Amino acid sequence: MLPLLRCVPRVLGTAVAGIRAAAPSLPLLQPASRPCARPFGLLSVRAGSVQLPGLLRPWGPCGCGCGCGGLHTEGDRAFVEFLNDEIKEEKKIQKYKSLPKMSGGWELEVNGTEAKLVQKVAGEKVTVTFNINNSIPPTYDGEEGTSEGQKVEEQEPELTSTPNFVVEVVKDGSNKALVLDCHFPEDEIGQEEEDQSDIFSIKEVSFQSTGDSDWKDTNYTLSTDSLDWGLYDHLMDFLADRGVDNTFADELVELSTALEHQEYITFLEDLKGFVKSQ
Amino acid sequence: MSLVVRNLQRAVPLRRARLRENVQAVRRALGVQRFDLGVICVDNRKIQQINRIYRDKNTPTDVLSFAFHENLKAGEIPQPDFPDDYNLGDIFLGVEYIFQHCKENEDYYDILTVTATHGLCHLLGFTHSTEAEWRKMYQKEKQVLEELSRHTGTRLQPLIRDLF
Repeated sequence: MLPLLRCVPRVLGTAVAGIRAAAPSLPLLQPASRPCARPFGLLSVRAGSVQLPGLLRPWGPCGCGCGCGGLHTEGDRAFVEFLNDEIKEEKKIQKYKSLPKMSGGWELEVNGTEAKLVQKVAGEKVTVTFNINNSIPPTYDGEEGTSEGQKVEEQEPELTSTPNFVVEVVKDGSNKALVLDCHFPEDEIGQEEEDQSDIFSIKEVSFQSTGDSDWKDTNYTLSTDSLDWGLYDHLMDFLADRGVDNTFADELVELSTALEHQEYITFLEDLKGFVKSQ
Repeated sequence: MSLVVRNLQRAVPLRRARLRENVQAVRRALGVQRFDLGVICVDNRKIQQINRIYRDKNTPTDVLSFAFHENLKAGEIPQPDFPDDYNLGDIFLGVEYIFQHCKENEDYYDILTVTATHGLCHLLGFTHSTEAEWRKMYQKEKQVLEELSRHTGTRLQPLIRDLF
């Protein structure tokens, strides 16, 4: 079975609003069949009253007999079955069972969806922080470009996580951090292999105090949109000297993709457990 | 006008600021500072792909030029009617190829500069398909590199000195 959930831009956390998986049809919303506790005659509805659909009936002991007190509908059963298959498939295609290592001596700390890479070199501490939420850009199927006879299943793109990342550089003994907000290029529709973007780019640069946990808006923030190119190249060289170069960027994508996939599978497992509520 | 430098590869470490500085000097020597120019640094895989697609040669190379103004006479500076046409085009530098072919006594950034000069001359209509064409291009490259050498103290030689 194909990992269908991963092919469709997800509802949660995607930049593409309004694309949702097809809603299940109504029959799945009916409660699970139960052993008949009453003769058919007594199940008839009084004339004029409205029969509530299964989901809106008052909470009570679970009809499937597990005794958990939760609501188990036919739809829930199908959902759990679907999730079982999805989890199996996702684990099968999981590229890394454990997170890949970054070259260059970076120490990794992971806190949920946020990852920090830290390196101390010659009197400086460099920290790179990124969050895997909202890090997978939407993929476009390019239906017009599909050649004849090409099956849609063969066209499933490999999802990669390209999170924005923030580089902080602090020199020993200083309470000032040079903070650079970096982005991966966003794929443009119709752009093929001949894209000429840098592997990553610097978007904003600012000084922040090391003591403050929040970004201070009152500190001047340099935007690179209309920055002198020479200055920009010096900033890129500055980062490269501190290990944040194209190799680092490629490895960060691998790491982020692996972490995102891991979190996704965990989420599916949690979702399955929640829906089952056993 | 703008000199856009892009580094699409990770095979070879690259000092962008130094490359920019050198290419700016070449632009000044050629008198084309008012024209936009793109310099894109790529690895062997990418330059081989471009070479294959556009020249039918499935092999990496040092430089490929894509002129904005086609059919220029050798050394002709374009005289555009519109601001958007103040553009020379793009030079793809096969930095990995150049690095691999750099001799021990050669400075990598000097070779990048020499190669970029060659690429820029192509954008200005110079070619080297015949000996006569080669002579013109060689002379131009020599002139530009001598001017650069006066400022930097280096002794740069044209890329195509041994072609004919």
